[in-house]
Amino acid sequence: MRKFFRRSFFKNIFNKLIGKDKKLKIGLYGHPNSGKTTLANTMTSDWLGKPIGLISEIPHETRRVYRQEKVKIEYDGVELDFDIVDTPGIATKIDYKNFLEFGLSEEEAKERAKEATKGIIEAIKWLDDVTGVLLVVDATQDPLTQANITIMGNLEARKIPFVIVANKIDLPEASSERISSVFPQHTVVPVSALHGENTADLYQAMVEKFN
Amino acid sequence: MDSKESNALKMDFLSSDALKTRTGMEKISMIVDKVKDGDLVVIEGGLTPEEEANLIETTMREIDVENFMGIDIFTLETNKTSFFGLSKKKTIGITIIGPANVMKAVKKKSNFLSMIANLGDSGASLH
Repeated sequence: MRKFFRRSFFKNIFNKLIGKDKKLKIGLYGHPNSGKTTLANTMTSDWLGKPIGLISEIPHETRRVYRQEKVKIEYDGVELDFDIVDTPGIATKIDYKNFLEFGLSEEEAKERAKEATKGIIEAIKWLDDVTGVLLVVDATQDPLTQANITIMGNLEARKIPFVIVANKIDLPEASSERISSVFPQHTVVPVSALHGENTADLYQAMVEKFN
Repeated sequence: MDSKESNALKMDFLSSDALKTRTGMEKISMIVDKVKDGDLVVIEGGLTPEEEANLIETTMREIDVENFMGIDIFTLETNKTSFFGLSKKKTIGITIIGPANVMKAVKKKSNFLSMIANLGDSGASLH
């Protein structure tokens, strides 16, 4: 661990020398209902003692970007200071009829759909401004979707470091192995954001990847 | 739509050469216009990550909750061997983009894609 701390120390000095010590902004990206806000809440509750946003079973609950400044996490003596940017879920389609199943009126469902389209545009725009990303993937679903591929392709093209968070591992049908096998070249951390399970591994990965 | 019957599916196949002369935004506008008209667009090769992000963004601007709910995109990849056969890289062979209310992927493997197009009361199957 001393070796890791020393590496981080020299990396920090190197980053300062090349002007890379700018403010870290970690974006939470992923599909609607993958658990981004639940994870953001777990992180801010762990390190600031308060949640960041509302969660719901209805997709597209987060329809605008929420930002929590000055979050500081610590792993084995190494600190990571950053802002959390919780973004609306990215999708290629929005059918307002899907919201009707959750008891919304037709008018509410249409309004939610319109707001969701604006939220997706805002999330895409934020790709230009984040310095690191947690790509939150629902481990009970097929990870090989166009939204995930587009997000990852853009992060790679922009050279933005990212960690794939295989969320919802508390559910019996979850498989983080499926995500690792589809994206073998990337860091995949299985967690249950809802129950705070395995978050220590995530914080370690974040310190290593984003510092 | 070019005098299309309501239960017919128009498919446009575009070669990579045909797309080469267009700028990224021209390409995206053309795709979204066609898909909004209910057409299916099959492209040789793929879009760049930036073009994909632009495609999603443009689609979101064009969504009209009553008539156009967005797009579905499917790709088929091919293994490309390079550097005297020493390294293998996956590249996109074809990209299929269509209206979300029409397209439904039934089966997708790395080298096989089966799709059903829902056309109201009638249906078309693409393999």
